[in-house]
Amino acid sequence: MQTSKTHSSESMSKDLSELMKEATKEVHEQAENTPFMMNFQKGQVSLHEFKLVAASLYFIYSALEEESERNKDNPVYAPVYFPAELHRKAALEQDLEYFYGRNWKEEITCPQATQKYVERLHYVGKSQPELLVAHAYTRYLGDLSGGQVLKKIAQKALQLPSTGEGLAFFTFDGVSNATKFKQLYRSRMNALEMDLATKKRVLEEAKKAFLLNIQVFEALQELVSKGQENGHPVQLKAELRTRNINKSYEHGPAHGKESERINRRHTDMMPITPLVRWILALSFLAMTVAVGLFVM
Amino acid sequence: MEGAGMEPNISPPDSTAQQDSPFSMTDLFLVSLIVGLFTYWWFFRKKKEEVPDLPKMQSVAAPVRDSSFIEKMKKTGRNIVVFYGSQTGTAEEFANRLSKDAHRYGLRGMAADPEEYDLSDLSRLSEIDKSLAVFCMATYGEGDPTDNAQDFYDWLQEADADLSGLQYAVFGLGNKTYEHFNAMGKYVDKRLEELGAQRIFELGLGDDDGNLEEDFITWREQFWPAVCEHFGVEATGEESSIRQYELVVHTDVNMNKVYTGEMGRLKSYENQKPPFDAKNPFLAQVTENRKLNEGGERHLMHLELDISNSKIRYESGDHVAVYPANDSSLVNQIGEILGMDLDTIMSLNNLDEESNKKHPFPCPTSYRTALTYYLDITNPPRTNVLYELAQYATDAGEQERLRKMASSAAEGKALYLSWVVEARRNILAILQDMPSLRPPIDHLCELLPRLQARYYSIASSSKVHPNAIHICAVTVEYETKTGRLNKGVATNWLKNKVPNENGSNSLVPMYVRKSQFRLPFKPSTPVIMIGPGTGIAPFIGFIQERAWLKQQGKEVGDTVLYYGCRHEREDYLYREELARFHQEGVLTQLNVAFSRDQAEKVYVQHLLKKNKENIWKLLNEGNAHIYVCGDARNMARDVQNTFYEIVAEFGNMSQPQAVDYVKKLMTKGRYSLDVWS
Repeated sequence: MQTSKTHSSESMSKDLSELMKEATKEVHEQAENTPFMMNFQKGQVSLHEFKLVAASLYFIYSALEEESERNKDNPVYAPVYFPAELHRKAALEQDLEYFYGRNWKEEITCPQATQKYVERLHYVGKSQPELLVAHAYTRYLGDLSGGQVLKKIAQKALQLPSTGEGLAFFTFDGVSNATKFKQLYRSRMNALEMDLATKKRVLEEAKKAFLLNIQVFEALQELVSKGQENGHPVQLKAELRTRNINKSYEHGPAHGKESERINRRHTDMMPITPLVRWILALSFLAMTVAVGLFVM
Repeated sequence: MEGAGMEPNISPPDSTAQQDSPFSMTDLFLVSLIVGLFTYWWFFRKKKEEVPDLPKMQSVAAPVRDSSFIEKMKKTGRNIVVFYGSQTGTAEEFANRLSKDAHRYGLRGMAADPEEYDLSDLSRLSEIDKSLAVFCMATYGEGDPTDNAQDFYDWLQEADADLSGLQYAVFGLGNKTYEHFNAMGKYVDKRLEELGAQRIFELGLGDDDGNLEEDFITWREQFWPAVCEHFGVEATGEESSIRQYELVVHTDVNMNKVYTGEMGRLKSYENQKPPFDAKNPFLAQVTENRKLNEGGERHLMHLELDISNSKIRYESGDHVAVYPANDSSLVNQIGEILGMDLDTIMSLNNLDEESNKKHPFPCPTSYRTALTYYLDITNPPRTNVLYELAQYATDAGEQERLRKMASSAAEGKALYLSWVVEARRNILAILQDMPSLRPPIDHLCELLPRLQARYYSIASSSKVHPNAIHICAVTVEYETKTGRLNKGVATNWLKNKVPNENGSNSLVPMYVRKSQFRLPFKPSTPVIMIGPGTGIAPFIGFIQERAWLKQQGKEVGDTVLYYGCRHEREDYLYREELARFHQEGVLTQLNVAFSRDQAEKVYVQHLLKKNKENIWKLLNEGNAHIYVCGDARNMARDVQNTFYEIVAEFGNMSQPQAVDYVKKLMTKGRYSLDVWS
């Protein structure tokens, strides 16, 4: 592509949509290359993992859409307000009910990384709403692009019914043509009144949004690996990981706190690290001996 | 819990009873120690055992598989192997379907994962009689093979095999939005030929950005006839067609359980419940139906549908979908020619009990209802339909012609093209022109495609007409080469709608399909609308909305229209309305081209070329949005080329730069298309 002297080249374009694409190119690649996403693209995703993802997405979109509603008439956001076409909360609720049952709300938890993301969304929506578009762009336009490929992968990998249950998140009933909708969305982004300084802040916020997403997936990946110790075939790998973690704890606070920490972080998993096993076994032994003696 | 929590305290016993006990202190201590050690052992040994056990189990579980697919095929009597390069399972699904198809033609197929076999055995495939290797190859990422096809791909590149004697065909699964469209499929097809193999059918290129399923079906329909011809086999006798559905005729049925044209829920036309969509259309009352043109042979019309109390919302630029009904005289003729009582109530039940699709259309229903509301009886039938029907032609010549047209031989394709497609023969015409062809009506119902909803760009603004949706359409009617008069299904059905009458004659089952064709967010943004003929429809809505915004006191930018028709006196649509808008200042510019009012043809693009400077100004300084609506084939392309010209000339750019500029406008949503072919 040649650049002309007389017309604006890409770098001189002031359009937010173009600036956004440029600015997030790198982090976008980073996000695609997280182990979780790479495994997902290969179809290596378990139902357990997928359910965790859906739960985190629920918290994220609930926050994003709450803030969208709050700012729907605010000129800094209104042009990109597309509830009928984009909003995912209802779809996620359907999927969560499908996966967890009627009591899904009690069953799901919000991991720390997800909570961090949620808090950022609320902060932006309340205190810096001109940056909210960065978050909407990052999630929704991604969902409309790669999301469709991910839908097929998930359907096959998890053997979900072809009637779409469990995949409502990926289904945009209000969008008849994803490509055209993205074009429309970009025109709306460019309709936002924004000075150069604000544009720069929006670009930074978009990068931040990507990083928050990456952190959520990395945290989920860790959660999943820890759980794989318990009778799952990938024993050895998990053991290596936990031994590493334990090593770091030895230099840390007292042992008592360590097991507490483990317990708090994995609310739905039993903490059986080798160290704890040793402790239990020895105590058992000692107990037996002591009981024996007591009996005498 | 602290590790060194409990120290065994060996304190001397207090009880004197100890001396009478059968066990000494030492014994008890030893016993407890043993128990404790046992516990420890039990705790640990179990865990350790788990690890070595599992890997062992896995290797035992892995089946002792014959890596030679040739041996497997010989063992199981197969002659066709369908390999799949699949990531998301689509190619695998296609491979399974193809291998099942083979049965119909006296052949036996099996689907195979290339990762599990030694593909160098391909050179041995000719050991099997009537053998064929089919490849369903998906392209992944940057033109790469899927994971399970990687080894095959490497082998193709490195190996110097001699594949003469191997017969093959390839269907590629790809996506046009990616640069390396179907790279894998194309490569396999080319490379196999280079290695000496014989291609027996052309490479299929499926496009997931369009309709992959349709591409596959189209390819498959021609593929099997080619295979049959190549091997000299035919789908013979009773085996010739495997019916998918089983006919059940109902003699004593509760009429309340019978479908009478509903798209989804039974009685959904009697008990209307929102929300309304494709599966649950709203029956809108037609409140106006008038002819728009003043002269000429065509009939252009303006209809208004009442959507009060439906909770249906729309925006200007959206599409309205209507479910039409076939012409009753056409339906009757089909019934007569097949000698069937069309009011027989029946169901067609899927023989594959695991399929989600229980019936081809809502059942139970009558043949009349099916042919009127559910089946497409006006489009020229596809070749697979002809192929299936051929068995019912008692005249040998007719049967041969049908089989020929369904085959992939050049002569057959040409015959199909001229006799069916160009002559626009629909199913009735075929039945009429082939007197010995009298298929059972239920098989015909199974073969005909579903009647599709038709979409029209809404010609009103919801701000001005919140309870009505307006349609602007031209009735399709033409004479065919065979002297028959073909009529468009939906347009003629709409034409005959009588406003404000009781009953179905003035009701239209409809729903709104959201589009992305929208006015700019800011009313001050100029718009350039180009919509000749019925392409003007959405712009009537746009102009109504701009007028409304002006009324609301908003600052409204330039509203420019380029319209075209044949004759000023004949088919200038919405002439009065447009004049009024122009006069009121809502419509800033009204540019109209009358193509046939003078010797040379004058179209919208010619008018655009007359206003180059003004257009460039609006684009470059005014941030104008461009909208094109109407004919896709010629008009849209000509208009786009004109814009390239304008941008190059007045924007001081080279042609490639101008093209890039316009493409960028599209990406940014400043150049929108609502076109049809």
